[in-house]
Amino acid sequence: MVLPLSLLRSTQNQQMLIELKNGDSYNGLLVACDSWMNVHLKDTIFTSKDGDKFVKIGEIFIRGPTIKLMHIPDEVQVMSAVNDEVIEVRRQQPNQRYPPRRGGHYNNGGNRGGRGGGNNARGGYQNRNQGGPGPSGQGGPNPNFNNRGGNNPNPQWR
Amino acid sequence: MSGNLTLDSYIGKVVQVMTCDGRQVFGTLEGYDHSTNVVLQDASERVFSTDGVTNVPLGIYMIRGDNVACVGEVDTELDNRIDFENVTVPPLGAIWEMN
Repeated sequence: MVLPLSLLRSTQNQQMLIELKNGDSYNGLLVACDSWMNVHLKDTIFTSKDGDKFVKIGEIFIRGPTIKLMHIPDEVQVMSAVNDEVIEVRRQQPNQRYPPRRGGHYNNGGNRGGRGGGNNARGGYQNRNQGGPGPSGQGGPNPNFNNRGGNNPNPQWR
Repeated sequence: MSGNLTLDSYIGKVVQVMTCDGRQVFGTLEGYDHSTNVVLQDASERVFSTDGVTNVPLGIYMIRGDNVACVGEVDTELDNRIDFENVTVPPLGAIWEMN
């Protein structure tokens, strides 16, 4: 399946036509785009809605929400480029389901494996007495209640 | 009735997208996303008028989700049987218009 934003990204440096919600259209080379569909075109020709005004514009930035549709000419072989991009992205992220750890405020105990990530209220910085074997991160202000078998710096939550 | 309402089952099929400005675009649904932005391949617009129907071939079209009124699967067999030469109707109006 070709995601619309992937299609847009693969059209970089190619000619495309963008029609805005107000009917005006811009025909130009795609320089850059982003996830909100904001678009930067160059060497653009603007055509008014009624087809009576034509203006050549060097560079233009078009806000995503103003766009109605985009037309990519047939000669441009984007579909194969998009599939390649998707395959490439999948190859680079084989098992990533959660973002990598960076030792933020909720992660005092270091890497604890894939489950129970960011929203782990038990180990987080709030550190109230949860009745478990102790919070993550031993440097925090919360003393170790219910310490069953010596200090376990990295309790393994299931 | 259960499960997600997605366009998954239409991927790869010929669909007709009605846009908010009253256009009818036909094409193979290549992809979509959560905002209902839609990617069509071999797209063509069917323009209705009192002088008859014209098909404007378009190529690859990406329609932004805000402008999609509906997406419908086309019964190609039935579609081929319609005699468009004799269809003379005024075009559909816009559903909503920018001021």
